[in-house]
Amino acid sequence: MTWRTLSAVFVSWALTWAALSAQTIPNKNPYEGNPEAILAGMGGYRVRCADCHGTDGRGVRGPDITQVWSTGRSDEGLFNTIRRGVPNSEMPAFAAPRASDRDIWQMLAYLKTLATPAPNEPPRGNAENGAKLFRTMCVACHKVNGTGGRLGPDLSRIGTARSREVLLARIRRGSEDFRAGFEPVTVTTADGAPIQGVKKNEDLFSVQIMDTRERIQGYEKDKVKAVENGKKSAMPVFGPDRLGDSDLDDLLRYLQTLRGFDPTVKQ
Amino acid sequence: MMRILHVFAVCVLLAAVTVAQQAPPAQVSIQEVAQGLPADGSRWLTFGGNYENHRHSPLTQITPANVSRLKQLWTFQTATLGNFETTSLLRDNVLYVTGPQNLAWAIDARTGRQIWRYRRELPPNLTACCGLVNRGFGVLGDKLFMTTLDAHLIALDMKTGAVVWDATLADYKVGHSSTIAPLVVKDKVIVGAAGGEYGIRAFIDAYDAATGKRAWRFYTVPAPGEPGNNTWAGDSWKTGGASVWVTGAYDVEQNLLLYGIGNPGPDYHSDSRKGDNLYSNSLVALDVDTGKLKWHYQFTPHDVHDWDATEVPILADLPIAGQTRKVVMFANRNGFYYTLDRTNGKPIVAKPFVMTTWAKEIGADGRPVLIPGHTPDEKGEVTCPDLVGGTNFWQPSFDPSTRTFFVNAREVCMTFIAWKPTYTPGERFTGGSGQRVRASESPAWGALRAIDPVTGDRKWEFKFLSPSTSGILTTASGLLFSGDADGNLIALDSRSGALLWRYQMGAPLHGTSPTTYVIDGRQHLLVPSGTTLTAWVIE
Repeated sequence: MTWRTLSAVFVSWALTWAALSAQTIPNKNPYEGNPEAILAGMGGYRVRCADCHGTDGRGVRGPDITQVWSTGRSDEGLFNTIRRGVPNSEMPAFAAPRASDRDIWQMLAYLKTLATPAPNEPPRGNAENGAKLFRTMCVACHKVNGTGGRLGPDLSRIGTARSREVLLARIRRGSEDFRAGFEPVTVTTADGAPIQGVKKNEDLFSVQIMDTRERIQGYEKDKVKAVENGKKSAMPVFGPDRLGDSDLDDLLRYLQTLRGFDPTVKQ
Repeated sequence: MMRILHVFAVCVLLAAVTVAQQAPPAQVSIQEVAQGLPADGSRWLTFGGNYENHRHSPLTQITPANVSRLKQLWTFQTATLGNFETTSLLRDNVLYVTGPQNLAWAIDARTGRQIWRYRRELPPNLTACCGLVNRGFGVLGDKLFMTTLDAHLIALDMKTGAVVWDATLADYKVGHSSTIAPLVVKDKVIVGAAGGEYGIRAFIDAYDAATGKRAWRFYTVPAPGEPGNNTWAGDSWKTGGASVWVTGAYDVEQNLLLYGIGNPGPDYHSDSRKGDNLYSNSLVALDVDTGKLKWHYQFTPHDVHDWDATEVPILADLPIAGQTRKVVMFANRNGFYYTLDRTNGKPIVAKPFVMTTWAKEIGADGRPVLIPGHTPDEKGEVTCPDLVGGTNFWQPSFDPSTRTFFVNAREVCMTFIAWKPTYTPGERFTGGSGQRVRASESPAWGALRAIDPVTGDRKWEFKFLSPSTSGILTTASGLLFSGDADGNLIALDSRSGALLWRYQMGAPLHGTSPTTYVIDGRQHLLVPSGTTLTAWVIE
């Protein structure tokens, strides 16, 4: 092997190594604990993430992400989730060059400061009984793993998306905010018949709703008597009179087991 | 002999047909460009319709009475990603259109069929901040002028779309780009550099239309030794931004260009650039022959909310307090509407046209009277308007017959956050960001507003559910065309604001307005929305 061949081999190896390293994502956040990066990441997080995940990371439309590390996710995995998005969900991909690698690592460095450990408290409640309660009280409006109603949000992943405390508050006290696509609305038709449902879309001249019979339909505003936005969520409040503390524990336990649904047909 | 006679007869016939079509001269003269929108509707040759940026057509075939009979004539699709922000030019029945990702077309205005297509090969590592868009051509002679996302100015042959010359404005790798529609004045093509979010030092340039040679450059951030540099602490001028991405106006009588200048960099972090930061957030008046500054007015000294003054300036002569005043009208992203004296840049009228919480008023010295507590920090502070502003780059219009200024206004508040940034060439350099206030606390909405420029008072408004980003076209027949954020093309009575007609386009008009012209005796309305151009006529 001549020097020329050797150097060609070396150059080729070096180029391959450089190309591979350029594509490799570190498995540990290089900015973790860096105060400047955390500050920059806070800005990035609040602009890009907080509308869905909340300023505190505990979830609004998107899931609670304060326990992603304590439930076993790695820095590298979270980086890829942000870079690529989550298919079949509202989580978009944050592609380069609009979001640089540094932007993503900085956001994760900030998110790490919001992270909470896994709960120490042992899980309470009987999930089996919770599932029965769900089928009795919730399934008319909420779908789980392909079964259930459509008026409320699909809860197939709710166990990864919301903490027990948040779920408890929603069940006991109702929802203060309406999630987009589930705002209560009443359309009064020209002949005076009220149609109740949830709003799927709206512009100045029309409104598109799903009514309580799950019929999806659009209405032109100048051809109906009224379109009124509801003040209260369509989600009923389940106080202790309707759902005892023990049953509530069971229901919450069941909801915490819901961690995603694979719709692929298995032969 | 018979054969010669026959050829002669054919020539005479061809000449007669040509005369009947009244074809304009092959070359676009500067007089044509300067004349603005002619009464016969045969051309649209500048961004704002005329040098004064009125975006107001003299055409009257489409009226409040018949507008509901508008029907689509054709639709042109870009067949690419991205959206139109362009103002199409029209001459001799051909439309000249720039699109997303530096595509451009010549289109038969009768049928919507492509005549030629230009596509610029763009580098893969572009840093263009805010969309791969372009706002339109300029034209002179047999050339079209277009800025590019990799910060060039190119001249295309009007007949073929072939590149005639290609001038480099600046290095795109450190964050420069250009999206502005060139303005052609005399023998010069006026353009500017975008990239205010990347720590560039921006400029306005003039190029020789024939050769592409640069005639002058006006840096929007003065260097040491130049007037205004002392408004930047330390070396902060080097990364001062102050970009130029929306076409200004030209005052023929004073031989002045009037251009709005963008935000200082970094956008939000106050301590990184103490001082007024001239000429960011200013309107500058430049001699078109030399590029020398005649006057400036800074709307937002030391801006910390990303309120570029890159809105469209509109010129008119208005009777104010018994005198005819030469004014420039300007609805600013900072939430204030201004009527300035365009001979010296002094405010005549300055009033909020949306909810503003950062300044009480504009003082007698022309500076805003600040309300404390609106400097962003790490914890965040809530200010109205938000970073997108009370309005932005989408075009207002002006009806000289009723002396009314029309603008799409936004009512949105935001939590602004700031931190000290580190400058890395080619990377974003904003030092902060904004988070929209939750709808349950402060709902975002918008309105198309008619403003009396003599008083700054509102004549009427048409409310939108969410803020529109559409430009506005008005016509001498009393019509106003615009769009909402949900894809509705709307026609209003420009005197009352009453809704006359609407059509769901499927995508909003964003950063551009309809235009109008006459083909074969019929007034056309051209609507850019999403990735389509649609031509409409009365049936």
